[in-house]
Amino acid sequence: MTVQADPRLVAELEIYGAQDVLKCYHCGNCTAVCPFSKAPFIFPRKSMRYLQMGLREKLKSNLEPWLCYYCGECSEQCPREAEPGETMMSMRRWLTAQYDFTGISNLLYRSWKMELLGIIVLAILTGLGFYMFGTATGDIHKYDGPGAFLPSAVIHAFDWTMATILSTFLLINCGRMWWFTMGRDPEHRATPAMYARRAGLLLLHFFTQKRYSECDRKGPWRLHIVLMLSYVSMLVLIMFFLPMMQAGPAVNWWAHAFGYAATAGLLITVAMALWGRVQKSATHYKHSHETDWIFLIMLFYVALTGILQHACHRLGSPYAANILYLAHLMGVVPMLVLEVPFSKWAHMCYRPLAMYFSHVQVDAMAAKESAAAETLPA
Amino acid sequence: MENHKIGVYICNCGTNISKVVDCDEVVGKALDQPGVVCAKSYKYMCSNPGQEMIIKDIQEQGLDRVVVSACSPRMHEPTFRKALIKAGINPYFLEMANIREQCSWVHTDPRQATDKATSLTKGAVRRVVHHEPLEKRFVDMCPATLVIGGGITGLTAALELAESGNQVFLVDQAAQLGGNLARVDLTAPYLDSARDILTERIRRVLENPNINTFLNAKVSGLDGFVGNFKAEIQPAAGEKVTVEVGSVVVATGYKPFDASRVKAFGYGTNPNVITSFEFEQMLRSGKIVTGKGKIPKYVTIIHCVGSRSEEFNRYCSRVCCMTALKYGQEVKSALPDAFVYDLYIDMHAFGKGCEDFYKQASAIRTIFLMYQKNTAPQIRPAGPGDDCEMFLRVDDRLCGEEIDFPTDLVILMVGMEARDDSAEVARLVNISRDRDGWFIESHPKLDPVATTTEGVYIAGCCQSPKDINESVAQAMAATARIMAKIARGRIEVDAVFAEVNQDDCSGCRVCNELCPYGAIDFNTELHRSSVISAKCKACGACVSACPSAAIKARHFTDEQIFAQIEGVL
Repeated sequence: MTVQADPRLVAELEIYGAQDVLKCYHCGNCTAVCPFSKAPFIFPRKSMRYLQMGLREKLKSNLEPWLCYYCGECSEQCPREAEPGETMMSMRRWLTAQYDFTGISNLLYRSWKMELLGIIVLAILTGLGFYMFGTATGDIHKYDGPGAFLPSAVIHAFDWTMATILSTFLLINCGRMWWFTMGRDPEHRATPAMYARRAGLLLLHFFTQKRYSECDRKGPWRLHIVLMLSYVSMLVLIMFFLPMMQAGPAVNWWAHAFGYAATAGLLITVAMALWGRVQKSATHYKHSHETDWIFLIMLFYVALTGILQHACHRLGSPYAANILYLAHLMGVVPMLVLEVPFSKWAHMCYRPLAMYFSHVQVDAMAAKESAAAETLPA
Repeated sequence: MENHKIGVYICNCGTNISKVVDCDEVVGKALDQPGVVCAKSYKYMCSNPGQEMIIKDIQEQGLDRVVVSACSPRMHEPTFRKALIKAGINPYFLEMANIREQCSWVHTDPRQATDKATSLTKGAVRRVVHHEPLEKRFVDMCPATLVIGGGITGLTAALELAESGNQVFLVDQAAQLGGNLARVDLTAPYLDSARDILTERIRRVLENPNINTFLNAKVSGLDGFVGNFKAEIQPAAGEKVTVEVGSVVVATGYKPFDASRVKAFGYGTNPNVITSFEFEQMLRSGKIVTGKGKIPKYVTIIHCVGSRSEEFNRYCSRVCCMTALKYGQEVKSALPDAFVYDLYIDMHAFGKGCEDFYKQASAIRTIFLMYQKNTAPQIRPAGPGDDCEMFLRVDDRLCGEEIDFPTDLVILMVGMEARDDSAEVARLVNISRDRDGWFIESHPKLDPVATTTEGVYIAGCCQSPKDINESVAQAMAATARIMAKIARGRIEVDAVFAEVNQDDCSGCRVCNELCPYGAIDFNTELHRSSVISAKCKACGACVSACPSAAIKARHFTDEQIFAQIEGVL
């Protein structure tokens, strides 16, 4: 099958961060050094080629960028400074935008100004909404209990509504990812049984990032797993135990101990990541897209305001706690709305899905091969 | 012969010889030979003490013949001949036996190797008594030079010679000087203007009173030998001119490959397909356009057109890769929104500054595609809905996909070929051509500008494809060789050459055609052949072919050779 080249794709990916892909002359050192490059997923060289040639559809149905964890060895080995690691990173950004059916992702990645504007608008809307609601139904000097400024039951209901909406978006995007990488390609058509057999991989890779841990360098995985587990713990606490979390001012160690640990985990790992990016201390920190900065800063801000409002409440300053809570929500809402279905946070779904799909693809291809072998005359 | 006093010297060559050959035994056997008055072995006979030993023996014992059993005479014959001169005897009274390359290096059995070394030494001993004293001879060196070809190579050669005060006759078939370079815009990898390089040189050539330039002219005849050539220059219109020159520089260059021979590209029928030289023309006129006169959005450059192919020329034309990278950069600078595809087989970016140039081409977003050797990318016209003129189909080996990519203008990087008249030129100046028609140098590494005809030098692309700096370097190398001869004022002719005994010659002319160096002259009046000693290389072809046994090779007489065979046996 002949595929059509689109020379404009290179310029398009450049906006997503792939600045150097045309420098690649395909020596293959990157692929040789990559511990994950195993048949039939030989990368990153071939993906670099798809991009150089402008093979848009090939790239769209490519799972390989998600199988890379950017340890940076490829970029360090590259004799041409073509930055294969950063190119794979940029492809993940681009793929996120391709999977997103709304086009919002594309907008956010292409223009940090648009993203910032989105954050500000959402923050103002959130702030105004909760302030007006809080002052109408409660007292800004009361943190919890009857007449509270932001009662936990209301926030709880709001959280679930938002989670439902965002999950819907994200699920649709995941569906599109399936279509591009699996559904539309007859080569990768798999039976439900094949999907069922590998389903466990989804959870395994979601919770352990097992593959990430198999990189030659363990440091980035350690940081990432602490960050991820802290985040998930916080998510569980908020989604299921919010009333317990907000009740006070006494410290409820059964709930709060987890919260403190998660907050510490978030603040420390995010600070380390930010510092790494400022210092460019590792290959994967050398190139920072605007969205990387925005994501880390937002996360740090949210974790910091979260713990500060909690501390103020416990220390007997409900007014300050409420103001900080409002500020916290003004960070949380835009962060989740923009990041989860449309930007970096979507990778928490795409990565385990890619691991899952890649195994199903291998199964499907193997089944096809053995079927073909059987039909061959003896 | 009983009157001769022979010294035999067996070299150990460190342990190169002595580890296999028993040198002392060879010394002993040599002493038994008639006429041998002394035989010695030594660690390094070619060293100063070794040579001193020979000189001392000659002077003290009155030796008149010397045999050195050591390495190949190619290596140290001149060394030992000099020792003989120093000792006061004729240098041709030396004979060498090669007991290193022919014994110790190729044999493992010490017994047999020692026997062979003894035999070879005996052969040399028997031979050397027949050696005759020979004297080197000299011919005059005419300081004028004929330069054939007025491209960058010929211009450089002419200037080097003329600016050192020597007369130059510069001949070019074209109406203007400059050759192929005159058709080029900028040069790779530093993007200097070819026009700037050339005009300055052409002006210097035209202004130099030592240079006689013949345009629209060709060399129609060349007679004589090194230092003493007579060249006939035939202008397209006008009288033939005969000039006397001592040396000839052949700098006839190349011709571009005819792209219409590669049918798949449709050159000549598809107006959007042009050659690199036509693109240079566009660059010089400052207007890059398609066949329809539109500004191209997609420009495709195809490498190795006519080069590195089984069907056309198997060699690499060397300059096209960098020229193609240059085009990519020139297109991008003239049309920043255009896309440039560069289709190559292998990128040959050797040479100073070239790898950086390649990187630079990537940095400005040239899109590189690798196509397979001996295939040609297919071109098909685009449909009405497409935003391009054509599609090029390439089986891209780097991603394993067959890719159609849009293109408006295709530039074919045509390779270099030997000129149509290269056979004629080769015959004229008596040099040889390889299977591709390029002139053959004397030694590919150590003597790259000389030829088998002494006094005739080759420089630039007539020898094989090369870029400007290499051509210029060769021109300068050739002129340096010529000026060394001019400075000496006369040319030493080797004392070893063939001679025709005029009384025995029957005038059958068998030798005339046989001589690979054109060194045999036939006198039509006397009906006798004779050897021009300055041209003779002493190959011996005529000696063995002469039915009347009238030709004798000095230093390789029948007597000498038979004696040597007897000695060996």
